[in-house]
Amino acid sequence: MSEFFDAFTGANLGYLMDGLGITVGVSVISVVLSLIIGSIIGIILFEKLPYFSSLVGTLNNIVRNLPLLLIIFFTYFALPQFGVHLPIFWATVVAMTGFQSAMLAEIVRGGLEAVDRGQFEGARANGLSNMQTMIHIVLPQAYKKMIPPIISQLISLVKDTSLASGIVLAELTYRGQIVYAQNSNYIVPVLLFMTIVYFLLNYGLSLIAKWFDRRLA
Amino acid sequence: MSMIEFKDVQKYYGDFHALYDINLKIDAGETVVLIGPSGSGKSTLIRTINGLEEIEEGQLEVDGFDLHDPKTDMNKIRKNVGMVFQHFNLYNNKTVIENIMLAPRLVLKRDEAENKKIAMELLEQVGLVDKANAMPSSLSGGQKQRIAIARSLAMKPKALLFDEPTSALDPEMIGDVLDVMRDIAKNSSMTMLVVTHEMSFAKAVADRVIFMADGRILEDSSTEAFFDNPKEPRAKKFLSQVEHH
Repeated sequence: MSEFFDAFTGANLGYLMDGLGITVGVSVISVVLSLIIGSIIGIILFEKLPYFSSLVGTLNNIVRNLPLLLIIFFTYFALPQFGVHLPIFWATVVAMTGFQSAMLAEIVRGGLEAVDRGQFEGARANGLSNMQTMIHIVLPQAYKKMIPPIISQLISLVKDTSLASGIVLAELTYRGQIVYAQNSNYIVPVLLFMTIVYFLLNYGLSLIAKWFDRRLA
Repeated sequence: MSMIEFKDVQKYYGDFHALYDINLKIDAGETVVLIGPSGSGKSTLIRTINGLEEIEEGQLEVDGFDLHDPKTDMNKIRKNVGMVFQHFNLYNNKTVIENIMLAPRLVLKRDEAENKKIAMELLEQVGLVDKANAMPSSLSGGQKQRIAIARSLAMKPKALLFDEPTSALDPEMIGDVLDVMRDIAKNSSMTMLVVTHEMSFAKAVADRVIFMADGRILEDSSTEAFFDNPKEPRAKKFLSQVEHH
């Protein structure tokens, strides 16, 4: 049993925790950006602006139907061919944000469509502009309905940061692989460690979501 | 002075001709009731007046604005023309008092203390002061509709449109809502256009009755003339049907 803890030398543990830091960094930045961008795209899709909305909708559908790993490869390996050189951390953030924005946009569009038509008509007939109707009446009601699917999407974002190990971003999963490559006795303890860390991270996220849900209800 | 004027207005939903040759003039301060069988175009007509439905042909002038002109700012009309809906359409995410105060705050930039004072007076008028901080979901249909009326009145509109305001209510709730409407008709100079099936209300408060069927205005008479001696056979038939209830 003592062998079990051998994996967690100070150096290994520090190395893994640094990886966790990168995982959390990519996640937090991508969550914030994709919530903003996804909301904007979702509203564009919902508003059915002539030409523009269907163009955005088509692009959004393409992104949504690609494997995330392919998008990560694209931002890290293909963009430099077009003269865009992103550091590995930011290449991951761009890929995660692009993919998650597309997923969230569909959730936002659906949430907006689930708001009763009467809410729009009541507000517009009351003299509110389209923008005021959105901000004060429709979006707050839509987000309330959208919290559970948004949170499950954000949880998958956090989990999917592990895919960036595919481009050798030194996040938690990649570093875990490095550590257990030293000694096959480390495989189970390190994977177990990663299991607990990812679980706590995402479970924490769902607890925050529950708190929000209760506060808004 | 005319508040609302339709000239040869046509409205289509695809191939369906929803409003046919509508010519109608409503003066400021008039109370007009619009009746007719379901599917006759009453709701469509009333919804064109604040631009919730667009017209395809003809001219529609409301409060001096031309609604068929794409340059017309619809929000300016809606500021002066309120609407009360069959299904209330209260803001589900706002308390009762916030429902009433929101549009005056955002659109009229009314001072907050003044806004609150007016809202409380309106709650008093509709008899729901104790519900100021309630959420709409906790109210009965009749209470919701009285709040919806208060919300419209808070904008101090020149005209108020009622689109079947009592049709979704339980019978015992209808009286309270009609009382509030009767009070507005009697005690204010507001122009009122009411789509309803409540004939006793029409008889009691309307200056004029308009009868519609199949997207056309078939009869436009003073209230007395309409109920005592309807000219149109379809209006006669309609009246005999609704009065048998």
